[in-house]
This record gives sequence, C-alpha cells and structure tokens, in this order.
Amino acid sequence: MAQMLASEMTMTQSVAEKAAKTKIEVKNLNFYYGESKALKNITLSLPERSVTAFIGPSGCGKSTLLRVFNRIYELYPKQRAEGQVLLDGYNVLDRSQDLNLLRSKIGMVFQKPTPFPMSIYENIAFGVRLYENIAKSEMDGRVEQALRRAALWDEVKDKLDASGTSLSGGQQQRLCIARTVAVKPEVILLDEPASALDPLSTAKIEELIDELQADYTIVIVTHNMQQAARVSSQTAFMYLGELIEFDKTEKIFTSPGQKRTQDYITGRFG
Amino acid sequence: MMTLCMGAAGIGLAWLALILGALVYKGTAGLSLAVFTEMTPPPGDAGGLANAIFGSIVMTIIAVLVGTPVGILAGTYMAEYGRFSRLTTVVRFINDILLSAPSIVIGLFVYELMVRPMGHFSALAGAMALAILVIPVVVRTTEDMLNLVPNALREAGTAIGAPRWIVIRSVGYRAAMSGIVTGILLAIARISGETAPLLFTSLNNQFWSGNLNAPMASLPVTIFQFALSPYEEWQQLAWTGALIITLTVLALSIFARSLTGRRT
Repeated sequence: MAQMLASEMTMTQSVAEKAAKTKIEVKNLNFYYGESKALKNITLSLPERSVTAFIGPSGCGKSTLLRVFNRIYELYPKQRAEGQVLLDGYNVLDRSQDLNLLRSKIGMVFQKPTPFPMSIYENIAFGVRLYENIAKSEMDGRVEQALRRAALWDEVKDKLDASGTSLSGGQQQRLCIARTVAVKPEVILLDEPASALDPLSTAKIEELIDELQADYTIVIVTHNMQQAARVSSQTAFMYLGELIEFDKTEKIFTSPGQKRTQDYITGRFG
Repeated sequence: MMTLCMGAAGIGLAWLALILGALVYKGTAGLSLAVFTEMTPPPGDAGGLANAIFGSIVMTIIAVLVGTPVGILAGTYMAEYGRFSRLTTVVRFINDILLSAPSIVIGLFVYELMVRPMGHFSALAGAMALAILVIPVVVRTTEDMLNLVPNALREAGTAIGAPRWIVIRSVGYRAAMSGIVTGILLAIARISGETAPLLFTSLNNQFWSGNLNAPMASLPVTIFQFALSPYEEWQQLAWTGALIITLTVLALSIFARSLTGRRT
C-alpha cells in the first residue's frame, strides 16, 4: 500500500515536471516582410503537452509567429526572422538545421483544409513514407491509428481509396490533422483550423485538440476568443506585432494585466 | 450593337461552316481503305497516303518525346523553383515570343542547324523542328497549371516535411495533371498541321521510310504538294489528307476539352 502510494506520488511529480517543461522558447524574435517589421522582439516560452492560443486582431502577427516555428515562411522571398526559437533547446532558426527533418517534428494544419490530390489512405501514408520504410500491413495500421486519432476512422473506413477532396470540409480538416499526427510530430501548429468550418465541425475539432494535448504540444492561432478560452491553457495576446500579454488562459480572460488585452477581449476593438 | 456583334459572329461561323463543309464533301469522296494502306502514287495513278500518315505519326511522336520533358521541366522551374526570380520573367517573355513565332522561321532555323551540316533532309530534322514548336506550348500550360495549384497545398506538403521535389512531384504535378496533359494534346494538335517547318527539314518521300536519317513523307507536306499539282488523283488525295488532319485535331481538341472539363 505504502509502496503504491509512493509510486503514485512519484508519478504525479513527474507529470507536474512534464507540465512545467518548456517545449518551445522564443527569444527576442523579430520578423520582417521586406522592409516592414511584422514581429517586434517577441519573447515567450510554451510548455510541453499543453495548448497555447495566440489571439489578436487581424495583422497582429499571430500567424506570422506560428509560421516562424517551422520556417514555412522560407517558401517566400524577402521574409526573414531574427532572434531565436528554441525547440528543446535547439535553435530552429539556425542555418544548419535540417529543415525537412525539423518540419516532420512540427506538424501544421492550415485555415483552409488542404487534402493532397490523392486518396484518403495516400494522404496519410504520404508523410509516413517520407521518413519511414514500413511494410504495407504496418502502414495500414498507421493509417487506421491516425484516422482514429482524428476521430475520422468510422466515417471513412469503407472508402479509404476515395479521393481526399471528396470529403466534407470538416472531414477534410480532420484528415489533415490525421495526416499531421501520422508522422508522429512533437508539436502541432494550428493556423485558425476551424475558421472555415461549421459549428458542428468546429466542436469536433476542438474536442480533438483537447484530446491531442495529452501527447503533443499544441499552438493554435484563432480569431475566435471563445475558442481560445475553451481549448487553451495559456493565451498570448498580440497587437501590431508585439506580444502584449502572455499568461494562463483563465487569467487573460478574467483579469488581464493589460488594458489593451481587456479592451480586445471585451470587444472594444479588433 | 448586339446586331452587329451577332452579324460578325455569324459571318465568322459561316466561313468556318463553308470550309468544313467543302472539306467534308470533297474529302469523304476519296476516303477508302486504300488511303491508309497504299503509298502515295506517281502522277496519274491511284494510291493512298499510308507513308505520309506513318511519317506524320513518327515525327509527331519524336517531337513530343523530345519537346514535352523540356517543356514540363522549364514550366516547373518557372512555377516552382524560380517563382520569384527575374529569370522567370525573362524566360516567360521569350517563351511567349516563341509561342507566336511563325513556324517557317523555325523550319529555317533547323535547316541551318541540322539539314545544312548533315548535307541532306531528314525525318530527324523534321521532328526537331516540330519539337521546337511543342516546347513553348507545354512550357506555358505547365507553368499556368502549376500556378493554379493553391499555395496552401504547397505549404501543407512542405509542412509535413517533404523536400521540395517531392512536393512538386506528388502534390503539384498530381493537382495539375489534367491541365498539363491538355497542354501536350494541344501541342500535338498544333504540330500535326504544320507544313512550313517540315518543308525545310523532312521534305517528302514517295515511299515508305522508317529511316530517321532520310527524308520522310508527312501529311501536311503531301497535301501541299498534291494540292498544287494539276493531277486529279493527287488533288483528291490532298482533300482526303486534309480531312484526316482536321478530324484528328478535332478529336484531340475534344479530348483535351473533356480533360479540362473534368478537372473543374
């Protein structure tokens, strides 16, 4: 009995330690679109296995910040980041980073569902195949597991060969989440994942986010403040490229420290 | 205003109908199995167009095999790797010029480049001239179709950790597939009626020839030669050949249309 209690205690301890561990640390980050500065000296740290929400009015830089984490902005010219983004202590912005490997560790889901022009099965197998050479039977298992994880399995199990684009918008978005989860990332970035979906699909996605945080560090950009309040543990409020306030979600929405945060969440601007 | 527009459209359509009508009327009169099995005859004799049809097919296939990869790769550079580079703007401009360049100029170019140094006309030179005509069409459609692929899809592929070339191959090409195929079909349609570049390169051949290093018959050049001749049998064959080309191009266009139609 005493032994069991002791082991339980160490377990809770380790859980507490995990919750406190920092997954992503942003230090003095500046970002430029050509000459214009879109992020101004951002510093914040995101704890592991929890949901962090970025909120703020359009053009405040919340999506830009998200796009720095996996350096997806580098697809376009004249965009550059200065400063540090540490993933488990390693600087993501370091030139010597293997970009593709980095991106396989940091999944991303976009505002509009982006199923690849291939079958549902292939949509998921595509990413897995990039870094793992596994047998067909094992791949079948991975695909099923990913689809189950994204709460889509029951809806598509009989039509895995159907085109990914034949699904409804909400299903497509869950397919994208399944695809992201299938490559076993450590971090999942969600860029307004529900803003193009109906309320029912949105509820499903939110439920999913809640479940996924047990295994992944999740960062979500959202316009919808209720959504941020519902799904996240921490919330960062950004305005005009600056991080105004970053705190427990509860605190941000009940007693924000900054007047601008208060004004925004009470709907006085933005 | 509307009446004027409708009138103009009517006149345009009327000419087209007249041309097609005459072509079908005169062409079908000479249509028979012999056209596809017998060689082009000497003046005054009966015969067919088998060697010309074969030559056209051979040269078109070589032209497409050579021109399509070059065109697709160039278009891919412009839409993907070189999307934001100045070189792309320059290449696009030059490609547009090439797209509307008179084909006779291309025939002369290949004549200088291949026929003169080799000392004789050849099917290979003809195929090269046609390939040069294929390239700009394929470049253009490939670039346009890849540009239509949403950036979000490219970002999604990249975000999952796929290297650039895999994103292009597995996402870009797949999404743009039917458009690119349509471009190739339109290029085939374009070259299958070209006469001028072949006059300077592959010339013509009375006989069946599979030798790429020798002159080779082709439908357009045969039509050109036979239609200008005073012999009735030759003129008849010219009409029939023209009908065959027209129907082929029509079939290709319809097929291309149905492909693009399905995409949307």
